[in-house]
Amino acid sequence: MLLPLLLLVPLGFAITHMATSGTADVGPMQIAAAYVVLMLAAHFVLVATGQRGDPLLLPLVATIGGIGLVMLNRLSPDVGETAAFGLNLDLGTTQVLWFAVGVVAMLAVAIGLRDDRILRHYKYTWALAGIGLLLFTFLFGTEVNGARLWIYLGPIGFQPGEFIKILLVVFIAGYLAEHRTLLRDAVWRLGPVRIPPLPYLLPMLAIFVIVMLVVVFGKDLGTALLFFGIFLTMLFVATGRRSYVLIGLVLFLAGSFVASRLFDHVARRIDAWIDPFADPSGAGYQTVQSLYAFGRGGLFGEGLGRSLLPTAGGRFFGVETDFVFAVVGEELGLVGAFALLGLALALVFRGLRVAVLARDDFSAMLAGGLTTSLGLQTLIIAAGILKLIPLTGITFPFVSYGGSSLLASFIIIGLLLAISHRSAVGAEAETAAPGEPDG
Amino acid sequence: MIATNVRRLSFYLLLAFAIVSGGLSWWQVIDAPSLDARQDNPEVIAARRSMPRGSIFDANGRLLASSRVSDGLSRRTYEDQAFTHLIGYSSLRFGTSGLERAWDDILTGRTDPNPLNDVVNDILDRKPTPRDLTLTLDARLQDFAAAQLGGDAGAVVALDPRTGAILAITSTPTFDATPISGDPNEAGEPMERIQDQPGNPLVDRTRQGHYTPGSIMKVLTAAAALDSGAITPRTTFREQPRQETEGFVVEGFRVREHDLSPVTPALWPLSEALQVSSNIFFAHVGLEVGADTYLEYARRFGFCAPLEIGQTSRVLSVAASFVTAEQDGDCAPFSDRAELAQASFGQGRVAVTPMQMALLAATIANDGVRPVPYAVRDVRDHAARPGSGPSERVIETYSPAGGTRVVSSQVAGQVRSAMVDAVQGQLGRLYAGAGAVANYGISGVMTAGKTGTAELGPNTPPHSWFIGFAPAQPNGNPAIAIAVIVESGGSGSGRAAPIGGAVMAEWLRLQSAAGN
Repeated sequence: MLLPLLLLVPLGFAITHMATSGTADVGPMQIAAAYVVLMLAAHFVLVATGQRGDPLLLPLVATIGGIGLVMLNRLSPDVGETAAFGLNLDLGTTQVLWFAVGVVAMLAVAIGLRDDRILRHYKYTWALAGIGLLLFTFLFGTEVNGARLWIYLGPIGFQPGEFIKILLVVFIAGYLAEHRTLLRDAVWRLGPVRIPPLPYLLPMLAIFVIVMLVVVFGKDLGTALLFFGIFLTMLFVATGRRSYVLIGLVLFLAGSFVASRLFDHVARRIDAWIDPFADPSGAGYQTVQSLYAFGRGGLFGEGLGRSLLPTAGGRFFGVETDFVFAVVGEELGLVGAFALLGLALALVFRGLRVAVLARDDFSAMLAGGLTTSLGLQTLIIAAGILKLIPLTGITFPFVSYGGSSLLASFIIIGLLLAISHRSAVGAEAETAAPGEPDG
Repeated sequence: MIATNVRRLSFYLLLAFAIVSGGLSWWQVIDAPSLDARQDNPEVIAARRSMPRGSIFDANGRLLASSRVSDGLSRRTYEDQAFTHLIGYSSLRFGTSGLERAWDDILTGRTDPNPLNDVVNDILDRKPTPRDLTLTLDARLQDFAAAQLGGDAGAVVALDPRTGAILAITSTPTFDATPISGDPNEAGEPMERIQDQPGNPLVDRTRQGHYTPGSIMKVLTAAAALDSGAITPRTTFREQPRQETEGFVVEGFRVREHDLSPVTPALWPLSEALQVSSNIFFAHVGLEVGADTYLEYARRFGFCAPLEIGQTSRVLSVAASFVTAEQDGDCAPFSDRAELAQASFGQGRVAVTPMQMALLAATIANDGVRPVPYAVRDVRDHAARPGSGPSERVIETYSPAGGTRVVSSQVAGQVRSAMVDAVQGQLGRLYAGAGAVANYGISGVMTAGKTGTAELGPNTPPHSWFIGFAPAQPNGNPAIAIAVIVESGGSGSGRAAPIGGAVMAEWLRLQSAAGN
């Protein structure tokens, strides 16, 4: 299952090298080989340790990540070297090293987390840790491109938002698993609207406020949208009440509207979204250029190594992070972009399947929330680049360059593997000893 | 319970992915051609810098524009300044304009005229092939028209009323686009010189000029009135002879007659009223038609919205002409009867483009059917040596698009006959006689026409207008319809009418010499 998919990566490297060098030489293969070996090794470790988690998760991730690595390797001459791990390395090398870090983290979580009580029972501690991390970022973080998202520990910078996301999911899963019947069978009536009793609403309102603080102070619209989307989706999964989601969306839109009135940078984003072509060399530049890239790509794409996006405009930024999807569209065409979206959707479906098969409410909520975070993140950045929603800076999971994003995404896969492992073991125990109450 | 909700969630996420896929398809396939054609697309910029660009020829294969690539830079040469506004320029510094802009993807070869080939080329990753354009215009007529305008600011638009093919379209003063279409670093200074010239040579008066039409508007008023049944060719207005001297008061506004001498006012029906160009008569006619119906007919003739030259997606846009004040790009309703009365003889808030007025003449000539104007006849393979003529290999020929009926054939005939009288009739001869092709050596051919003298206020000389067509006998197969304006050129009969007559005569001469 894994091997044929992984062969795509060396092939992509070879095509890129041939296209950019104009020779029939396949070029250097160390990075591609390292990636293939890494993913195969991860697979064998899972098998050898008796990990019985969902068998499609890793192959899907490896394929999506492989496409990402091919793109980053292709972009590396355009973007130049990056400082990572205290060394100056090219994009492909850095990314493959981060892949290694991520895979190790995934294996550690998948194999090590045989018991989820540590997550379930300390949910408020996790929530506090998340809020602490958030505050720490506001106070001591470094501002990049107008948003305060980075913390530097010596030479290594990381984006706490990626990890806060996981902590948020753990907290909400724990909280909702405990109170979901109460929330579902709400009795308070406010005119025609039924709302849950206030004491149970408060923690959620607190989260809403925190999310809005992220918008206001962190200037990080993408993360705010993602957090809020995760929160609403999990609320829906716990209660099955669409009205909560609708109320939440209305609140979010109202909050965004107020923010756009109060803060210039939000207003500019909205203007650039409504008509980027009104100011194609200013506010709308990024959007316009990436739409051009999609247009040039057409059905079948310009071919690997032929994107004009990184070079032609001269001042386009984020081609390896937020806008990598536009390069995929330009070089691999509609066909390639569809394939990537299809793989992401398949990963989401597998993750949701883990949630459906989970043995208890907390595990189900956790799996659902984590999967949603991957799915929504993909949707938000893709829809933003495609001008379906205002553009917000956020990474494309497993494809964009970036250590924090990759590490966090692999931890999510590790958690999903751990949850599905327990379901598989539990189901087996049930068939082996029928009648036993389930744990 | 949770499992059910997760399944519902998966449906919503699937929906969201489907929407994103829809957005992807929109930009990558459906809207891609228009993205690919935009001026600031890096692909377009790169392509224009170094790629060969197709040539442009007139209807007889005379070279008008061609490119040469040297030192990795594509330089463009324009042969005839009478064509500058129509063809436009292709500048690495200032972008493109005119046909160079509308047909940029064909000239550079980015798009194949045949959409099917486009898909094949995309799959096979073929290099773009530049193509040449052949225009419907005859450079001899174009040059003749430009020479007639001489040093005056003005415009001539002539088209074949039966097909909509443009025969001449020229705006003066003009400029040489060659110096700004070469090395971008050397294009700045010539552009500044052009901008400093008097008379705004950069403005294409045929498409962007907004002028008060004066009496040529009476042709529209007559057509609207006859077609709506407000008048017949024999309708008269009893008070009109008296009002010719006393004036006609509409809601406090006094409609005054222009100087009628040497004619004595009488009870005039349509033909005579058009011959002497009676403002009083047409004010009455307009009021009979009514505000709503008048606007409706103006819209049918093409007013109140931008026009387009071209039948494909590659078009030159023509600024909208207005009958009333502009309101959100459309004609506002008439504010009162006085405004309607004034509009009926082409004063008040009426503002028109020469292209629109040529189209008005062409619609009457073409039996009441408004043709679709176009300027590009075919697309051909790129000629290796443009100097020695276009390639024989025609890739795509553009045939005339079907027009829209504006007024009935019978009404068109009635207006035509009144317009013939306006040029050749006993009274009309005194005003628009100079527009007759008979004055320029073409005998046995009737000319229809109408002059206009657009009053601009006490201190500015009026604009001189003429619209007309020939041959204008019943079933006479009209070969050319024309609109001429000379800015502040004085009376229509003095300046524009002779140009109109001479240009139409020149075209009939060229046609008979070619054996048609």
